Amino acid sequence: MKTVVVTGATSGIGFAVAQAMLALGWRVLLVGHTLENGEKALGALCNAFPQGEMACFSGDLMQQREVHRVADELNAYLALHAQGRLEALVNNAGAVRTWYTTTQEGLEQQFALNHLAGFLLTHRLMPALRLGGGRMMLTSSASHKHCRVHFDDIMYRRRRYSALGAYKQSKLCNVMFAAAFNRRYAAEGLRAYAVDPGLVATDIGFKQTGGLVKLVWALRKAQGVPAERPARTFAALCAGEPEPAGLYWYDGHVARHDPHADRTADQDRLFALSEKLCGIASFGGNV
Amino acid sequence: MKTALITGASGGLGRVFAIEAAQRGYDLVLTDMDAASLETFRQGLKRQFDIRVTAEVCDVTSADDVARLFEVLHGKGIRLNMLYNVAGVDFEGGFLDMDCEQVLDIVRVNIEGTMRVLHAALHQRDAGSRFTVVMVSSLASLYPIPLKATYAASKRFLLDFATSLSQELSGLNVSILTLCPGGLPTTPGALQGINAQGFWGRATTNSLTVVARRTTDRALKGRHLYIPGVVNRLFSLCGALIPRELLARLLFLRWSQARQGRPAGEKLVG
Repeated sequence: MKTVVVTGATSGIGFAVAQAMLALGWRVLLVGHTLENGEKALGALCNAFPQGEMACFSGDLMQQREVHRVADELNAYLALHAQGRLEALVNNAGAVRTWYTTTQEGLEQQFALNHLAGFLLTHRLMPALRLGGGRMMLTSSASHKHCRVHFDDIMYRRRRYSALGAYKQSKLCNVMFAAAFNRRYAAEGLRAYAVDPGLVATDIGFKQTGGLVKLVWALRKAQGVPAERPARTFAALCAGEPEPAGLYWYDGHVARHDPHADRTADQDRLFALSEKLCGIASFGGNV
Repeated sequence: MKTALITGASGGLGRVFAIEAAQRGYDLVLTDMDAASLETFRQGLKRQFDIRVTAEVCDVTSADDVARLFEVLHGKGIRLNMLYNVAGVDFEGGFLDMDCEQVLDIVRVNIEGTMRVLHAALHQRDAGSRFTVVMVSSLASLYPIPLKATYAASKRFLLDFATSLSQELSGLNVSILTLCPGGLPTTPGALQGINAQGFWGRATTNSLTVVARRTTDRALKGRHLYIPGVVNRLFSLCGALIPRELLARLLFLRWSQARQGRPAGEKLVG
């Protein structure tokens, strides 16, 4: 049996991905923000897939301490139940913030969760991904287009904070991380994809946001497709044989991403900065 | 090398002041109550900035803790150029809804703790250069606020105290700025509060980075009071023009609406 880890799995796109992977007969390890939501999601999935193998883990992934704890628990679970192998990792957890807010490490929250959390969790699960010849996916967004990474002020400390600007930048980071990952690890049989889910009717714009973000999202959400739609793309990337090509996927096919993401110098700069901010001496190496 | 001491450093506002000072090249001394989150933040700063960061667990209301903190600074030969007095606390609920110890905690942390640290810090200041103090008070210090009576009065103490002390110490090259912010989006709880107050909550809320930058700019220029935000400054004028008893009645109406559904005794700041 193959195993997938899905973060942000208790609602929205992550939950739909968990459903899709259980339907394919995979073992699904859900990671959610709170234990309460995790158990609710697990209950619903157990009803739908009584034979399915699944477990849930919880943590506030924008805090690096929590990523490390969840990674420890996942690695222990994989060692016990899956010979330490992981076939797919879906870094889907993400958030929008109306105001500049920081994590306990003093990092801007959207950058910390939407980019760094996935970076750090992938690092911690690299041994299992290597054993499983795994694929890593990031939930990016078409909003990554027409923006760039402001390396001189990546966490919006000097610029006026923009909820959408910080979101777009973090989603561009997803594409760049996926590209950098492939340059480094494709030769080892590992593979990363950034997925544009399209406009999906989830609650992302309502969680810990206010005012304009809530209003705009209420209007946008009404136009959104159900989360099952992007979940099909994730499922195809997790399970597709032979290994799907391409970097950036939308609605079941390779799509065009912003050429900014292809600049290898910027990819490497982001990679090195992310290692530094996560306290990683060497990505994929020792903790 | 200049050094800034920050109390309440691992909370939402403490963190942005620490980051602001770090961006200006200050070495940092961080204190807070919780060892784990303090260490997490120290590590986070070390990864982001090339500065010296000393972190010491310290309950500002404990004479022993504060004495030990300054012994450590003395031992390391660290002299202070700046102090951000951020540590503060508030609990949800009116005077009788709170436990008496909670009421007294507000006084102990916000007043006693602040005095204790400030007194010791003035003795540990770098006498060769200017010493700058930021007192974190609140917009609440400008009015009598029913249902936040203890908190508002404790912040009023800081405002009046700092105004007097500024004069007292002006010959010693010490300047004190009192910051009176409205809502700040620091914690999920604070965000909830801002959203619960609807339009006025948002209108009185200021960006943390802007507040941290402007507070520091103004403090270093020797200014004495900073009320962030135009709406808040207008409110502060009302505070000066409307009779205090009428103000108290109006604010009572507003707060009884705003706090509906929040459990008494819930910790709000700190």
